[in-house]
Amino acid sequence: MLLSYRKLGGLRIALWAITLAVCLFLLVPIIFIAALSFGSSQWLIFPPPSWTTKWYHELFADPRWLQAAMTSAKVGLLSAALSVFLGLLASFALVRGSFPGRGILRALFLTPMVLPVIVFAVAIYALFLRIGLNGTLVGFVIAHTVLGFPFAVIAIVNSLEGFDKSIEDAAVLCGASPLQAKLKVTLPAIKLGLFSAAIFSFLISWDEVVVAIFMASPTLQTLPVRIWGALRQDLSPVIAAASTILVAFTLVVMALAALIRSRMNK
Amino acid sequence: MNTMFLSIDKLRKTYGAVVAVDNVSLEVPEGEFLTFLGPSGSGKSTTLYALAGFDEPSAGDIRLRGASILSTPSHKRNIGMVFQRYTLFPHLSVHENIAFPLRVRHQSASDIAARVKAMLTLVRLEGYGARMPAHLSGGQQQRVALARALAYDPPVLLMDEPLSALDKKLREEIQIEIRRIHQETGVTILYVTHDQEEALRLSDRIAVFNHGRIEQVGTGRELYHNPATRFVAGFVGDSNFLEVADAEVRGERARITFPDGTTLANVPVHGGASASGTGELMVRPQSLRLSTDGSGLPVRVRDVTFLGDTSTVLFETAWGQEIWLRAAASQINNATPGANCHLEWNATESHWFA
Ligand SMILES: Nc1ncnc2c1ncn2[C@@H]1O[C@H](COP(=O)(O)OP(=O)(O)OP(=O)(O)O)[C@@H](O)[C@H]1O
Ligand SMILES: [Mg+2]
Repeated sequence: MLLSYRKLGGLRIALWAITLAVCLFLLVPIIFIAALSFGSSQWLIFPPPSWTTKWYHELFADPRWLQAAMTSAKVGLLSAALSVFLGLLASFALVRGSFPGRGILRALFLTPMVLPVIVFAVAIYALFLRIGLNGTLVGFVIAHTVLGFPFAVIAIVNSLEGFDKSIEDAAVLCGASPLQAKLKVTLPAIKLGLFSAAIFSFLISWDEVVVAIFMASPTLQTLPVRIWGALRQDLSPVIAAASTILVAFTLVVMALAALIRSRMNK
Repeated sequence: MNTMFLSIDKLRKTYGAVVAVDNVSLEVPEGEFLTFLGPSGSGKSTTLYALAGFDEPSAGDIRLRGASILSTPSHKRNIGMVFQRYTLFPHLSVHENIAFPLRVRHQSASDIAARVKAMLTLVRLEGYGARMPAHLSGGQQQRVALARALAYDPPVLLMDEPLSALDKKLREEIQIEIRRIHQETGVTILYVTHDQEEALRLSDRIAVFNHGRIEQVGTGRELYHNPATRFVAGFVGDSNFLEVADAEVRGERARITFPDGTTLANVPVHGGASASGTGELMVRPQSLRLSTDGSGLPVRVRDVTFLGDTSTVLFETAWGQEIWLRAAASQINNATPGANCHLEWNATESHWFA
């Protein structure tokens, strides 16, 4: 190879240093926030003078935080389910269909991924204003489904492309109707893709803040919106606690996903 | 008129401007093992898929026991199929794969268990029921696929190059299995391959496909000894084609003259060619002999290859065409490169094509 790691000599140390720096850059803020959330200082002094869990007590005592977490979970689960369902239908069209404009449709399905979020947020806000969906759970779910859908399409298209259509044909010749064959053979065979699609779209909704700010009302807020709102009022360690929980939950979901995925692969 | 078990009637399938299958007609008696043999892209799979119901034909009809099956959707045709690629359901065990067609037919649990057991015995995979497809070899997977396709007693079994992904030794092993299973079950089999040896080994009859048409249907012997067209002559068995400068046709025989003036009488004529003229003479390498009395076609030895049981000799004719012979090594002792000699053969074992 042109660039052999072993031949790099002193450069190897530089590579290590860069890698370390990048990792630190990514991790330190999170560790910092987590540390502050357990610090006793009201003014987020670092390093904390002593350790406490009182901010967590305060957090759990406030029903607005709990409500926000519940809303986040609801919106996340519903929009993930919807993304996977629509993504599945779209993927069948993209992979199996042979109609003109298929390539364009594929690109179109992926636009929410590249469109600046703020542009999408303003647009959907304006639309929902007309039909009265702002500040409703339905509005939240629709908006987040649009954001999660491209990721679901990518995951499902990938696994459907890797699935040999002959296997489905074999099921049909065995006597299963085309729908039965898809439900009993194709879906179980691409379950990993469906699962990834669900995890992706859930996590996208779970930590999405820009669109959520536009969709939110004083009584209907997701966790990131609540954090953002609280931040603007005062800088309390409770926010650090909420942020830590947000991150911790994301980590738990990802760890669970990895576990389930390795189980499925067996 | 007695109705044929399976008839394919003037089947035609086009994809845009491409004619994949062109006016194919076939009559298949019950229990026959019929093979579609032909080069890549000759329309074998397309014909098979029309039977399976995946491809709607552009024209023509397919009748099973006298009734057209074209309006019946695939899943109600009750036809068995083994594909070229491995198509076992990856999330189901061997047992459940074979049980699948029986479950969608709502058979009772005890019937299913008994049938799966019988099928595993048929394909000699007793004790493999609990295995997952990923833990089977390619040959085993195709045997399970065969068991699954036969589990519901289909009247017709379609096989589209089921062994092409396997290595030669395994392929021959499973060919023997397939023959045995055909004999034991009596199921009618339509088999696709482009391997002529496989076709000859397995089939009762062979349909030779070329450019979407059937060139000839017959037993392996018929195709080999009486090829109807130049294509069949070249595709089934080894062959030499020699340029013919002139042919005088009289009835079923022709008297031909090679470019160097050598003549040969009593050559069988095929394909309804009646007009005299130029053309090509096909003669098999194993029909050729070195003549001992100086009669026959004068040639020069180019190369001798020793192959153990046999040897092959490559010659060049006076007009520069190559022709090769295969014989027991002892019969061609005096052939050395550069030597001039004469080739002879039974005129009735060669064929003239206009
Ligand atoms: N879906 C399709 N769209 C367009 N053309 C097709 C399609 N399926 C087959 N063809 C064309 O039809 C012709 C016959 O194809 P077919 O698959 O029947 O050949 P085959 O004899 O099975 O060849 P092989 O030995 O390679 O499998 C080919 O020229 C092929 O390119
Ligand atoms: Mg084919």
